Amino acid sequence: MLIEIRPVARLRGEKAIDITPAVSEMIGALCEDSVDLAKVRLVCDWVQYKHNFRDVVDVRQISPGTSADQLEVAVDLRRAKDVDLRAAAREVLGYADRPDLLPRMPLEHWTAGSQSCIWDFNALYWKALGEWERATGQMYESALPGGESDARNQAAVRDLISDMFRIWDDLSERRSLPEELYVVELGVGNGNQAKAWLDEFVVMDRERGTDYYRRLHYLMCDYSQHVLDIARKNVTDHATKTSSVILDATKPTEALGFLRFKVFLVYISNVYDNLPCDDVAQIGGRHYLVETRAYLNQPDAEAIAKSISVEPAEVPNQISRLLRLGPELLAEASPDNFADTDAAVEFWRQCWQAVRLAERYVPIQGLDLYEVAPGVTGEMLRPQLEAGGDIRIHVTNGAVASFTDTIPLLHPFGRLVCHDLFTTDVMQNRTGFRGPGKYDGSVVNWCNGPLLAHIGSRKGFDVRFAPFAHRKGTNIITMTAQVRD
Amino acid sequence: MADTNGSAPRPPNQLLPTTVVGSYSVPEWLERLKTDYYQHRLSGAHLEDIHDVAIKAAIKDQEQAGIDIVSDGELRRDNDVDYVLAKMPGVEITNTAKAFYYDYLDCAITAPLAGPDTAVLGLAGDFQFTREHTDRPIKFSFTGPFSLSSRLRNEAYPDSAELVRGIARMLNAEAHELAKSGATLLQIDEPFLAGYPEQVALAVEAINLVTKDVDVTWGLHVCYGNRYARPSWEGHYNFLFPAVLDARVDQLILEFARKGDEDLALLGQFGWDRAVGLGVVDVKSEEIEPAELIASRITRALDVVPVEQLVINPDCGLRHLRPDVARAKLRAMVDGAASVRANLNAAPAGDLTVFPAAQPELDQGEAQNAPTG
Repeated sequence: MLIEIRPVARLRGEKAIDITPAVSEMIGALCEDSVDLAKVRLVCDWVQYKHNFRDVVDVRQISPGTSADQLEVAVDLRRAKDVDLRAAAREVLGYADRPDLLPRMPLEHWTAGSQSCIWDFNALYWKALGEWERATGQMYESALPGGESDARNQAAVRDLISDMFRIWDDLSERRSLPEELYVVELGVGNGNQAKAWLDEFVVMDRERGTDYYRRLHYLMCDYSQHVLDIARKNVTDHATKTSSVILDATKPTEALGFLRFKVFLVYISNVYDNLPCDDVAQIGGRHYLVETRAYLNQPDAEAIAKSISVEPAEVPNQISRLLRLGPELLAEASPDNFADTDAAVEFWRQCWQAVRLAERYVPIQGLDLYEVAPGVTGEMLRPQLEAGGDIRIHVTNGAVASFTDTIPLLHPFGRLVCHDLFTTDVMQNRTGFRGPGKYDGSVVNWCNGPLLAHIGSRKGFDVRFAPFAHRKGTNIITMTAQVRD
Repeated sequence: MADTNGSAPRPPNQLLPTTVVGSYSVPEWLERLKTDYYQHRLSGAHLEDIHDVAIKAAIKDQEQAGIDIVSDGELRRDNDVDYVLAKMPGVEITNTAKAFYYDYLDCAITAPLAGPDTAVLGLAGDFQFTREHTDRPIKFSFTGPFSLSSRLRNEAYPDSAELVRGIARMLNAEAHELAKSGATLLQIDEPFLAGYPEQVALAVEAINLVTKDVDVTWGLHVCYGNRYARPSWEGHYNFLFPAVLDARVDQLILEFARKGDEDLALLGQFGWDRAVGLGVVDVKSEEIEPAELIASRITRALDVVPVEQLVINPDCGLRHLRPDVARAKLRAMVDGAASVRANLNAAPAGDLTVFPAAQPELDQGEAQNAPTG
């Protein structure tokens, strides 16, 4: 048996946690069971997200259905003291060979994490953000760490513009500065960032007398028309300099292809952590894809069914319709179940609160055959997977797709600046839980920084990470990518 | 002996001959193996075998696409600079390991370069290997002295122009050896020049040192960079003129597909009366340009450049393109050139400066399939 305890930083210091009881209970439950202990991995996490996709104890098959069958038993140490751990472990171990028989209501077939319906929930959140915010009475920014996006920090904005002005001055001296100066923001929030940036730009440009503002084009890009509409109202002072573009952050060149090699700054804040993500692992020298399946625990499914007057077995269909239609149309289409849009939003929120993810490890037959993102194969993961020993990492497929499809937009002296949650060392995956968690109605995952750096390097970019310099005590990291050589 | 696929060898004085700029697609598996070598996980001997196989395949790809003048795809090279610098006596490299084969090494020079008594860089051997595996005319390219010096930390020469000239003399010895080995079309690449437009006179002076007394057809390729399929600079070719008129080269190979052909007018404006390698394929995009589009690019160029002076090539090397994309782009380029050729009413070409000045001496078996004329 292998026991992996990840939250090592919590084992020491004033607020050290005592994991002995939890580990002892888990080992006890395992020893009571008939499972082959030599093939068990006991993985202890500290799931810091209050709202997440995990039950306190779960089992995960490794190479299901093959002779190399192993078992991973996972426990969330943070919530371990809140439950009868041994009983919870006994229950799931009882289904170790037949996890499909657990009292759970599956919402989908087994699939790669990035294809799970939790990302449809995530997409719905951004599409129907107005309805969600009306129901919760909170703007989405309040769900972010610190209650606001770091993008609007004035000092950070000023630093960024100063750096860009230096580059432009240099190019201007060499008569190489293009007439049109493009800045792109991916994921615009409520437009506060754009406003802060443009206001500061005007002030600094006037101070210097460079007249760059005349040549500036600021493109606000977002997936959500609702978000863009709000953002647009915030930058009315700069209406002639700003354009709004609806786009999928994972495919920016579909909308912005005309800006290839022309953009001086791409600004991204709190977007990458909210894009679809697979997990892959190396266990015992083999590579695995972590397949997931969203489910509701049976009692949750029954409660939700009751609230909308359907049989529990009908709940997955109703969820599927919700994700396809959105709450407003769902209420129109099913008036017997939803009195109005608010009732449909309530159903949405209940489901989101209850949804969980089961996991299993399926072998990858060749890293080159696994697609991280269009044009990026799993070979890019090899340095991390083979860094030594067993490891599980986020692939952050959506972030990789976005990154690789964004950097072609950059001018040779352009720069991509991104504030987000990043791991910056592969070993951080062994010492902490990196998601997924739930932020309000959306999904959050830490982005795989070393992977982006590796891919960036293969595309001629220097990718650097630094703690966000303008707010203390934040997990936010600033990633900067610019052309090397 | 190369398989000519049953088709007759092409006449060397064909109008609008097609060629490549130099590098050919490096597949991901080859990148991995090359990187393994630089991380000391693969022996040099195995890598050489792999290179041999890859080069034969690259030549075959070009032949099957219908390219008239082929190259070895520069597949032995880690990048455009280090392959030469690492072999240059006097160049110091403290760390030869690389995280990725294509990365640049940190190269320095602490004492003036020794006189170039003989060729030491081994380029002639590379050419000979290619010669043995195709009966088509060959273009052999190497990076020019200005660009090579740009990646060399100069701790030897108070005046960096002297370093450029020193490298040029070394390349001249190499060019003599290449000519002796049968090379007839040599191309100097200056991928860094566009970033230092104020240095064009020095670059031209050095180019003339490289080409001095080497009786082959000389090409000069200047682009805006192709590191990792990205331009390193943006701008216009006007910086080249009039200085480039003094370069003792026969062809000027420029990129026009990605940037547009606005700068073509410079050739007429400054009276460039030699051959032009017309970049008609964007190598920084995976989109396959249709043959019709390529034909239209060639046709527009004919307004400025006489047909007998035009050579058709991609904007730059194909190294960053996937193999299937590279093949498709070359096929489209060949088809585009053929359709323009078919529509031309021009009389058969006379003396074409675009074509290699002389063919190598071949043994009897090879001679039967060799190009004539």
